Amino acid sequence: MNWRRWNNIIHRDLGYFLVGMTIVYSVSGIAVNHVADWNPSYERQREVLNIEPPAGDTKEEILADVLPKLRLNQDELRNSFRPNRETLQLFMDEMSYAIDLPTGAVIVETIHPRPVLYELNQLHLNHPKGIWTYISDFFALSLIVIAVTGIFVLKGKNGLVGRGAWFIGAGILVPVAYWIYYLNS
Amino acid sequence: MKYLSIVALCFCMLAVSAGAEKKFGKKITLKEKTKISDIIANPEKFNGKKVLVEGPITDVCKMRGCWIRLGSDKEFQTLTFKVEDGVIVFPMEIKGKTAVAEGVVSVTTTSVEDQIEQGKKRAKETGEEFDPASVKGPKTVIQIKGEGAIVR
Repeated sequence: MNWRRWNNIIHRDLGYFLVGMTIVYSVSGIAVNHVADWNPSYERQREVLNIEPPAGDTKEEILADVLPKLRLNQDELRNSFRPNRETLQLFMDEMSYAIDLPTGAVIVETIHPRPVLYELNQLHLNHPKGIWTYISDFFALSLIVIAVTGIFVLKGKNGLVGRGAWFIGAGILVPVAYWIYYLNS
Repeated sequence: MKYLSIVALCFCMLAVSAGAEKKFGKKITLKEKTKISDIIANPEKFNGKKVLVEGPITDVCKMRGCWIRLGSDKEFQTLTFKVEDGVIVFPMEIKGKTAVAEGVVSVTTTSVEDQIEQGKKRAKETGEEFDPASVKGPKTVIQIKGEGAIVR
C-alpha cells in the first residue's frame, strides 16, 4: 500500500471519528462568539412581584415575615443575604429573589441552562478540565492531521499542483488579509 | 468498536470525577481565612496582599461569568471577586452557594466617567435602569483579583 492510500485512510477515518467533536466545537463556537449580545449558556427570566412591605429589623425577623408572603419554605432556601439596608436576597436552585424592603417590590430571577447549548459550551470552554483537556488537545491535533492529509488526498489537476493550491492559498489569505485590515483600521 | 470503547471510557472517568464541590482556577494555597469585613474596614492594609475569603455568592457576572460578588461576614457589605475573562468562568447556577476564594486585594479609585461607563454596561447586562446622575464623585473600589475558588 502506498503512502497516499494510508494518507486517505487516515483522513477518512479520523474525519468520521471527529464528527461528534466537530459539531460540539463548531456549534458552541458560533454561540460563544456572540457572547457580547447574549448569554450562550443560560436563559434568564425576570419577573417583578409586589408584596406588602416586610416587617422586622433583623434578617431573621424579615425572613419570618416574608417567606409566607412569597409562599416559600425555609427548607427551599439555599441562602439569604442583605447586601444593603433596603434589600434582602433569597437564593434557591435556579432562582433568586431580591426584595426591596421599603416598597415590597420583588424581582424574581430564574436561570435555566439552555438545553444542549449549555452542555456544548461547557465542553468547548473546558469547564470539566481534567481528562477533557487531553481529549480536546487530541481533537485539535487531529484537526491539523485532517487538514494536512486533506492536502494530499487527490493528485493531478484537482490536487496540490492545481485547483487545491488555489483553494489552500485563498484559505490562508482570509485570516492574513483580515489581520492586516484589523491592524490598519 | 475500539474507538467507541475509548470514548465510553473517557466519559465514565469524567462522570466519576464530577462532584458536589466545584473548583475554579488555581489551587488554593492559603490556610488562614481573612474576614471580608476586615478587608472592607481596612483596605489599604490588605492592598496587594493575597487573601483567602469565604462568603455567600450574592451575584454572578451574567454575560461572561468573569466575577462573583461575595457577601461579607457582616450585613450590608459585599466584595467583588474578579477573574480574568475566559481564564475562570463562573456558572450562573452557583448564585447563593458559598465560595472559598483566593486572590490578591486591589484597591483603586474609579473616576466619575468610568463609573458612568460601568453603570451603563451593567444596566445593559442586567436590564436594570441606571441614572448617571447617581454618580456623585470618584469612588474607592475594593476587589479581589481572583486566582482560585472552591464553591460548595
